[in-house]
Amino acid sequence: MYAVKSVAGAMGLGLIGFYLGLGIVAILRWLFGYPDPWGGEINIIGGWVLGVFLWLMGIGMWGQWGREWFGLKTYQRNLPGWQRYFTFNTDHKVIGIQYLVTFMVVFFLAGALAMLMRAELAQSGNQFLSNGQYNGTMGLHGILMVAVAVAAVIGGIGNYAVPLMIGARDMAFPRLNALTFWLVPPVAVGLLATPFLGGIEHGWTAYPPLAIRTNSAQVLFSLSIITFGLTSILGALNFIATIIYMRAPGLSWGRLPIFVWSMFATSWVALLYTQGFAAALFLVLLDRLGFSFFDPATGGDPLLYQHVFWFYSHPAVYIMVLPGFGLALELIAHFSRKPLFAYKYAVAAFLGILGLSGVVWAHHMFTSGMPNYLHGPFLVATELISVPTGLIFLSALGTIWLGRLWLKPPMLFALAVIFNFACGGVTGIFLADVPTDIHLQDTYFVVAHFHYTIVGGEIFALFAAIYYYFPKMTGRMYSERLAKLHFWWMFIGFNATFFLMHLPGIKGMNRRIADFQSELDPLNFTISLAAFFLGASFLVFIWNMVYSWVRGPVAEANPWRVRTLEWQTTSPPPHENFPSIPVVRGGPYDYGVPGSIHATFPSAPSAGFAGAPAGGGQ
Amino acid sequence: MHGKHLISVALLWVGLTAIGELLVFADLFPTVGSHEAEDFDSIFRFLLILGIPVFTFVIAVVAYAALTWRIRAEAPDGDGPPIRGHGWVPRIWLVITAGLAIFVMIHPGLTGLAKLQSSATAYGWGKQEADLEINVTAFMWQWTFDYPDGTQVSVAKGGEVVIPVDRYVKFNVNSIDVVHSLWIPAFRMKIDAIPGRTTFMTVHPTEVGAYASDQAYRVQCAELCGLDHGKMWLPVRVVTESEFEAWLASLKTQGN
Repeated sequence: MYAVKSVAGAMGLGLIGFYLGLGIVAILRWLFGYPDPWGGEINIIGGWVLGVFLWLMGIGMWGQWGREWFGLKTYQRNLPGWQRYFTFNTDHKVIGIQYLVTFMVVFFLAGALAMLMRAELAQSGNQFLSNGQYNGTMGLHGILMVAVAVAAVIGGIGNYAVPLMIGARDMAFPRLNALTFWLVPPVAVGLLATPFLGGIEHGWTAYPPLAIRTNSAQVLFSLSIITFGLTSILGALNFIATIIYMRAPGLSWGRLPIFVWSMFATSWVALLYTQGFAAALFLVLLDRLGFSFFDPATGGDPLLYQHVFWFYSHPAVYIMVLPGFGLALELIAHFSRKPLFAYKYAVAAFLGILGLSGVVWAHHMFTSGMPNYLHGPFLVATELISVPTGLIFLSALGTIWLGRLWLKPPMLFALAVIFNFACGGVTGIFLADVPTDIHLQDTYFVVAHFHYTIVGGEIFALFAAIYYYFPKMTGRMYSERLAKLHFWWMFIGFNATFFLMHLPGIKGMNRRIADFQSELDPLNFTISLAAFFLGASFLVFIWNMVYSWVRGPVAEANPWRVRTLEWQTTSPPPHENFPSIPVVRGGPYDYGVPGSIHATFPSAPSAGFAGAPAGGGQ
Repeated sequence: MHGKHLISVALLWVGLTAIGELLVFADLFPTVGSHEAEDFDSIFRFLLILGIPVFTFVIAVVAYAALTWRIRAEAPDGDGPPIRGHGWVPRIWLVITAGLAIFVMIHPGLTGLAKLQSSATAYGWGKQEADLEINVTAFMWQWTFDYPDGTQVSVAKGGEVVIPVDRYVKFNVNSIDVVHSLWIPAFRMKIDAIPGRTTFMTVHPTEVGAYASDQAYRVQCAELCGLDHGKMWLPVRVVTESEFEAWLASLKTQGN
């Protein structure tokens, strides 16, 4: 098995690189006369840098990319079947599926951690977890889920669908694309290794001075997030270039599918702001090595970190939710059999949110003790964001109005996005208004709110997209009955869990605690039961996906009778997607318009293209 | 073509809103222990009254559309009408949503903020002059409260924060290690304790009360501060002025 050898070899190289890095730093420390050459956290940093580099080289960057730097010939292996998912493959469809499967696995891992937390929180006092273990579990759940929310839709669905939707053969920079994916495994290893160094003690937000004083798991956390930020930035760059330069002839900006528009806006947010998080954590790393940016004991300012951190981490929620909105609108138009209502307003909404996303960050800091004059402007900017967000709702509700709603599983999930986000949006007003936020800040009300927006808005859209693209990706169909069972189970479980979660927040339960006041016992017990119910719903999903991928009936090329380009090729599409580059003649959503066509395919295949064998993935 | 549907959705919306607004009467809040808590509860209710119709509007349209216009056949037999949403509908929507946003922004947002902040350059909530000033020091993972007469309250000493009712009580908050946050649920007030900077919050308790009978009376750390963050809390007792003086005196005699 070439793939197994390749991955194992790369892991070996990565490990060698890691120890080599540790050693080089140790030698340097010894040369400069430090007392303990092996004991510094800077050794881990050196190990990380070299380890990640050699891992990338081993997995295929050397063969396909690095050799070129020395004037050597590059080579590419095109492996059959499942093996191609374990190599440095530059096909955007392979990379999309790699992202999707990887982050679904991370999603279920982090979900299991949530179950553990709810087990602990079913009753006041400590039952299963000590305070330290709870903090580690909570921090790991948080950061893993943030990673899923940032990368599952963009990296998975975005990579898979965007080039297909715009009629391109691949992304603008295929090797860069593969690089962004293969940076993810070290990130996962780094984060999952944190419990062995004492666990993440500071949640996913890593506020100093706690982050400076805490155990060495912080170093792995920071290195992982900086690396992950690199993935995000490079991916965003790739999407922007792809969407600007790779659109098929005739696919003007006004004809672009709305999901592609949302990916365009999202990529700009990711490109512009991600370095905030990376920079903040980089400075934390330096602080741990003896600098003092954030520790007041040595002249730093802890609030500086919070500003830099939220300068990314508020836009990050739009990185998470904008593609979710885009998917919801996309699917709602197709499954209502109607043109997208107020298309231009929806586009304006995405661009408006992109514009406002950078000027609202300090609403996370209303109780932080920042100077009083900052509260007003950030309150105003935050409330303003509800205007473009409202346009998304206008577009969704206008589209289903008088439509012919085909309530297939993707459509059910897409409608649930609208439902859930309406609740998440309304509770957001309570947190944007300073007088109510003072009490609600850092309580379970906030936890409920952001799960409504991110899980309800984005993860539901992710499942919509998985049920939508599963036949395209695998060439097989899943059980619709199980998919609908999963939908109702998850929808009810989700709303039960997180709607109830607002209540302990108002009553006075703060977040990130293993133990709480006994008066909230009945409420928390109910929430835990609802959470276990929600968690169990994913078993249906996993069974349905795994079984159908192996044994499901063969899917049609266009099972949903959809007009956009990705459905005008075979399921799964051939390498390079289309027999010939399509020519776009009209909008993607012209349902009900007599004689309208979205695109035509010139009949003569372009030179060097071997044709499109039905059902073949190579 | 729209008329019948519009009326049905409007009725559904009104019905759902009527049910939803019942939430305003629900027992959502902890004990009201201060003026600030009264303000919070009334603003929260006000936002709830405004927010619920927004939420039920979305539910009404989605539910009505899904029930009325669903395709029951195995595959769609035709398309819907190609309504594109040019013209007046999006404009009216924009005016209404922007109007709502600006309304909420001004009241209760900015008006409430003006009530909370006594100065644009201060670092905290409420009046800067108070009847009683208590210096709070947060550390991993407890608090100390220093009263003007030199009395100190901590886990070791007294173990209970006592303040007088009907007086403005100002907490000057500091931290000696990491970021903490001082939160008293009965007063609905919270301010972070940041090392290297003094923040404050002034509360005006209106009721006597104590943790022993009501768990909303406690000082709780609300910013993750490491291992025992969850255990970082102390009981609070609000007493009458004379009881307060007696309590201070008794602590003094115990050699505090």
